[in-house]
Amino acid sequence: MSLFDLPFEEPLDSPDDTLARDKPGATPNKTKPRAPERHVHTVSELTARIRTLLEEEFFEIWVEGELSNCKVWNTGHLYFTLKDQGAQIKGVMFRSALRLLKFTPKDGLRVVARGRVSVYDPKGEYQIICEHLEPGGLGALQLAYDQLKQRLATEGLFDARRKRALPALPRKIGVVTSLDGAAIRDIIKVLRRRYANAHVVIRPVRVQGEGAALDIARGLSAIAKVKGVDVVIVGRGGGSIEDLWAFNEEVAVRAIAGCPVPIISAVGHETDVTIADFVADLRAPTPSAAAEMVVARKDEFVSRIDRLEVRLRGAITARRHRLESRLRALDARSGIASARGRLAMRARDAGELTHELRRAMRAGLSTRERRYQTLRLALETFDLRRRLAGLRTRLVAGDGRLAAVLDRRRHALDARLGAAVARLESLSPLGVLARGYAVCWNADRTKVIRDASSVAPGDRVTVTVERGELACEVKGRV
Amino acid sequence: MSDTAIKDFEAAIAELEAVVKKLEEGDLPLEESLRLYERGVHLSRFCHARLEEAERRIEVLNERGHLQPPPAGLTAEDDSQTKR
Repeated sequence: MSLFDLPFEEPLDSPDDTLARDKPGATPNKTKPRAPERHVHTVSELTARIRTLLEEEFFEIWVEGELSNCKVWNTGHLYFTLKDQGAQIKGVMFRSALRLLKFTPKDGLRVVARGRVSVYDPKGEYQIICEHLEPGGLGALQLAYDQLKQRLATEGLFDARRKRALPALPRKIGVVTSLDGAAIRDIIKVLRRRYANAHVVIRPVRVQGEGAALDIARGLSAIAKVKGVDVVIVGRGGGSIEDLWAFNEEVAVRAIAGCPVPIISAVGHETDVTIADFVADLRAPTPSAAAEMVVARKDEFVSRIDRLEVRLRGAITARRHRLESRLRALDARSGIASARGRLAMRARDAGELTHELRRAMRAGLSTRERRYQTLRLALETFDLRRRLAGLRTRLVAGDGRLAAVLDRRRHALDARLGAAVARLESLSPLGVLARGYAVCWNADRTKVIRDASSVAPGDRVTVTVERGELACEVKGRV
Repeated sequence: MSDTAIKDFEAAIAELEAVVKKLEEGDLPLEESLRLYERGVHLSRFCHARLEEAERRIEVLNERGHLQPPPAGLTAEDDSQTKR
């Protein structure tokens, strides 16, 4: 900064002062005003100073006005004039800032601009360099939004208790949106991709502009009346806050809150939040996400059923294992294995009894033979006929006695055998089979299968049930 | 045990859950556990059938409350994808 840039007084020019100025330190309080230096600015210098002043003073300001003379140059920068009844100011918005706007600045639009004031030196014009523009009406919209939200919240329309679960398997999916928008295409695409057999009923409505909110409300009441529609998606694709506004209007919001079937709101993008989102049963960040939510329920149920099936099979397998171990326990006590042992034992008993019977008979016979020999001897010495008659009588009586003894003996044996057989029957595998069990044998019927891992798929096994047997092939283990 | 005894999909899942729980918990008589197992298999078949039975269809509800086919352009892109 040069000396000339410093502020200075501008007293009258005087030749005397030239001398005085040579020694300013020596004569600071001279009565005679010292002569001011005549300083001539260049235009550029002056303009630069004005620019510095304005830039320092209006470093960041907000200004409201009406747009006019909007023009985007081929550099991509927007030039405009901002005016009100009494004044106007020129403005520029550079491409980088312009790109971030959600709306297109147009002549006649009321806006609030944020930026700094600067000077365009070549033309000597001051102008606002705009960093951000927003529609001037936003304040009013924001107020309406806040007020409605507050009122509905007080009524309890946002309560978590009101939220309903989506149906497990929607029979028909109602969609209330515009037929021309991206939302319906996104929804159909997702439903087709995830849930090939979806039945969709679309109610076309206007989703922006005058009357859109009422249209949405009517569409909702119409679609809820379609038989079988048990979930509704209401929404639209992204847009400016004004574009989405219908979803902040009371008539649409109340229709969503009053929808008789579960409803998902899907308005704009993830960052757009409307009052519709607060009253719907579920808020989807986008229309595609809403469709995903509807089908996610199906996926959830498919996996739930799959898990239940696994548990069902597991439970019945466990039940079978418990039965098997109980059978084994019975075996150890008095079951089939022991029955077989008893069978052998009884068979031996029977054999012994038979042997005994034979011995008894033989013994009986030899007794008779001995007696006969004795009699024959006597016969030789006594009257043959008399003796013979006497002998015959005795022989017959002896025979009868012997038969009676043998008979009694046989009856006793029969009874013992009968009891053994009855006992056997109660212990036989066939008796167990009659109670509903089956015995599974290996192919050549030499071993009972007790362990599923002892057979391989393809092996042949024989299954004995109460009546008959089955030739089976192992298909696999459960 | 017939289909008519199953109210709807969600009831079927609830019953299937109850059946599995009962089977897992109790040392039931063989006949009873076999009966429950059959019921469980039946219920899971019912659920699978319901999962697959919904129609694949898109309709447009017009101002008069009539259902109409959608405009051709709406599903055109999607149809070309399914053909692929």
